[in-house]
Amino acid sequence: MNVGIPRALLYFDYFPLWQTFLSLAGFEITISPPTNKDILNKGVSLCVDDACLPVKLFHGHTADLADKVDVIFIPRLISISPGEYICPKFIGLPEMIKNSVKGLPPLIIFDYNLHKDLKGEKIAFGRLGTELGVGGRAIDNAYKEAKRRQLIYRGILESGQNPLSILYPKERWDEKLGTKGTIGVIGHPYLLYDRYISMDIIRKILDNGYNVKVPANVSHSTIEKRLENMPKNLFWSYGKRILGSGMDWLADDRIHGIIFVDSFGCGIDSFVGELLHRYNIRGRRLPYTTITLDEHTGRAGFDTRLEAFLDMMEWAG
Amino acid sequence: MVITFPHMGMMYIPVKALFDELGVDIIVPAKINKQTLETGQRHCPEMACLPLKILMGNYIESIKRGADTIVLSGSCGPCRFGYYGVVQGEILKDLGYNIDIIILDPPSEGTGEFLRRLKKVTGNSSIYRSLKAVKKAFRVSNELEGLLQLVLRQRPRATNKVSIDQIMNRFENRIAASKGADEILACIYDTRARLERVETDRNIKPLKIGLVGEIYTLIEPYVNLEAEKRLGNMGAEVHREMTVDSWVKYHLAPDIKHRRRHNRILKKAEDYLHLCIGGHAWETVAHSLNYAREGMDGIIQILPFGCMPEIVAESILPTLAKDEDIPLMTLVVDELTGEAGYQTRLEAFVDLLELRRSSVSDESGKTLSWY
Ligand code: SF4
Ligand code: SF4
Repeated sequence: MNVGIPRALLYFDYFPLWQTFLSLAGFEITISPPTNKDILNKGVSLCVDDACLPVKLFHGHTADLADKVDVIFIPRLISISPGEYICPKFIGLPEMIKNSVKGLPPLIIFDYNLHKDLKGEKIAFGRLGTELGVGGRAIDNAYKEAKRRQLIYRGILESGQNPLSILYPKERWDEKLGTKGTIGVIGHPYLLYDRYISMDIIRKILDNGYNVKVPANVSHSTIEKRLENMPKNLFWSYGKRILGSGMDWLADDRIHGIIFVDSFGCGIDSFVGELLHRYNIRGRRLPYTTITLDEHTGRAGFDTRLEAFLDMMEWAG
Repeated sequence: MVITFPHMGMMYIPVKALFDELGVDIIVPAKINKQTLETGQRHCPEMACLPLKILMGNYIESIKRGADTIVLSGSCGPCRFGYYGVVQGEILKDLGYNIDIIILDPPSEGTGEFLRRLKKVTGNSSIYRSLKAVKKAFRVSNELEGLLQLVLRQRPRATNKVSIDQIMNRFENRIAASKGADEILACIYDTRARLERVETDRNIKPLKIGLVGEIYTLIEPYVNLEAEKRLGNMGAEVHREMTVDSWVKYHLAPDIKHRRRHNRILKKAEDYLHLCIGGHAWETVAHSLNYAREGMDGIIQILPFGCMPEIVAESILPTLAKDEDIPLMTLVVDELTGEAGYQTRLEAFVDLLELRRSSVSDESGKTLSWY
């Protein structure tokens, strides 16, 4: 049986876990191709207008798989960490897909909920195995190996490596060390690592002679520490990662500027972006800009924004 | 300590009753107007949800009138509402206001913390006095709800719609001048009697429209551009399950009967959505199904631009409406929503429902369908 996985949303953070598990459990896997114009257009036309770009893209990637696979894997990531959530749209994602994309093969909905405790993960994979008709030892082993690879991926990212060097190993990413300084690029993985939708921003920055850091390069414990003094626990996992890494960079002289890449209509970015922006103004006043992406973002306008920022970096010296 | 709190429809009335009974000084937030929104907009991130902006405007107005403490309810995700207080606090701080913000997360998130924060609000009141105050406030909330339901029922039937507005304006003026739960209750009873005496056309069988959507948008008339009043004036009877009172009964008052009914309605919708995704999207879907089964003529969903959970509901509702064969319209409101276009859309929807009703009663069956 051929299982399709949409290359969208948290695929970019969890592909080692999902892919390893499914292939060790004995399935063939098809990942939708990297975002292209056709996928974007499909997503935009199928999804409700008011949704954010990443959710629209998920619709496009799912539709793209429709006649290529036997079933499609749709994650429902309710929570990836105790006491936290990701975003309401992640919880309702399978319903959005079911109601907006017609003519799909059967969907394998992967309910994943660690809101109460971490045991939820094993349970989730056990259930997934049962749904796919595999059980027992095979599932345990597949899960263990998947988990191991996921941790390796995490570890590599936390050691500071550029995620694109893993996703696009044939290109050179980290070797050519920038000499002008380092820019922290903040954003959800599904924006930053999707080269089509992010207008290849990371590549462009590197080509301009700067190094790039992304939130995934900051360790979990650093993020927790940075957010310790928030008046109330921030309950969005990626909101935490975004704000925490930004706060860490504001306090790190090795970072010389910050670009916040968000998507139009993202409720979470609008909140944490606002907080980070205020903290920067109160404190270090690093060169800082926000670039908002939506389906109408033009390449030319985007490049101009980026160039203007890089000029500002030069002046700031 | 002078407390202020969010303005949301007529919710300020039970809240006022509560604080009056506790003997706490309050600034009742001013009715929302264009100015409120503009003030809020100026100081909030552009992409923040509309409720955040308006509440911000509210707070700044109340602070200028002397409030030094803001009390609001919270939640711990997944939606933004739970983090409003923090973002607002930072914005106020940068504006140079030194304000205490007390976020009352529901007791389910930790009873000890809830009581500790509540204590900050109730100050020196004895437990007995506090409990009595809470009980009275519940009563006000309940009676007020009855009054608002009566408005919804009378408006489409009233021969002179303006008389309803007059009665309700007078009601709010009188509330502003009253103090304590008893005076407020007397006001409610008196207004109820007046509304019941309004001249109505008994032969009218109004269209029935169920409203669903984001809670603040539904409850605050300024934000939904007075959808209920507009629909009522067009002769439609509006139904809205999402009320302050039902929220209170579910989250704060241990009203078992209400809770059971609520859960039953949610459960019925499980084919469409079977879990809480944040905000009130589950209610939006479940109430829609319930309205359809109760034989309403149409459903209107109203959400503020960018509302995360309601967007999920928005993608589910068309399937539900098709399955149940009921017309549905989704309205997205933001600070730019124009009155004229809004009115036109409501009128067109009501026309459609009327046409549909007459063709169905023509024995021609369901010849005219939304789809
Ligand atoms: S976190 Fe933001 S960008 Fe991601 S799905 Fe939610 S609203 Fe969209
Ligand atoms: S439910 Fe909608 S309006 Fe309310 S906090 Fe969430 S996004 Fe904002």
